[in-house]
Amino acid sequence: MEAVLTPLFGALRLCAQLFLIIVPLTMFYEFVKSRQSSLAGRSRAFLGISGRGLIPLFTGIIIGLTYGAGVIIHSIRSTDIGKGEAFLILLYLSVCHAIIEDTLIFVVLGANGLILVGARFFLATLLTYAVYRARLIRGR
Amino acid sequence: MDPAARTCRRRPFNIQLPIVDTIAVTLKKGFLNGLSITVEMVKVIVPFYLVVELIRYMGLIKLIGGVFGPFMGLFGLPGESALVLIAGYTTNLYAAIAVLSPLHFSPRNVTTIALMLGLAHSLTVETPITKKTGVGALSLLLVRIALSLLVGMALNLLWKLF
Repeated sequence: MEAVLTPLFGALRLCAQLFLIIVPLTMFYEFVKSRQSSLAGRSRAFLGISGRGLIPLFTGIIIGLTYGAGVIIHSIRSTDIGKGEAFLILLYLSVCHAIIEDTLIFVVLGANGLILVGARFFLATLLTYAVYRARLIRGR
Repeated sequence: MDPAARTCRRRPFNIQLPIVDTIAVTLKKGFLNGLSITVEMVKVIVPFYLVVELIRYMGLIKLIGGVFGPFMGLFGLPGESALVLIAGYTTNLYAAIAVLSPLHFSPRNVTTIALMLGLAHSLTVETPITKKTGVGALSLLLVRIALSLLVGMALNLLWKLF
């Protein structure tokens, strides 16, 4: 009996820990979602991604691909973001998304959060920049 | 935007009244979303966790560790961690955590696994989403898996240096 109860207790405790992380985050996500139109006014380009592209980019970095899918798909399709730019956005997001949640749930088990966040931002920026530069050179 | 509207927006009276209302509704929506995510998470975590405990109880974990040991050695990880990576790549991070938790790895190993899985996870769910935006999903999938494996090896080398 104990052989079943101890793991079950362990599993439920893990769920409870994750619950305490997830609920504040989803509340924060909804808040960000309701505010994100204020980003649209920015027009400075970043790594070949224009101001309009920053909405799906930031949504993905903070909220993640699964939960933010609606906003990301909609904002890429409904504006005149080109295929090349959309690829850069999704390349960045593939490597670096849901940065808060993904990090915290592993920190619970003892991971070093700083390394996780730093490495993902660094790699995503490096990769996106490399593809952007490569295109500029090919385009000439 | 015309200047009159802009000064209008800076005034606290004009902003705060509608927002207070929205915040309560927004937070409630967020809480309900969190609850439904937690329900989905429990459905994934409890079975994965119990199966791993069962495998461990029966002594099979050493066998699995032996089979994957040489490959996982590339990342400086014990062989059992192959189960964590497979769960994370194919299912989602919650499944990976459910497998990882009863195995009790060191913080360094957890960091390596977390970074590898952070770069590539839930591939069965996220690849269709990237496809829907209309870009080449296959190349992104390959980039993610390659990057995940490369970064795992790189982090292993870095750990050895320090």
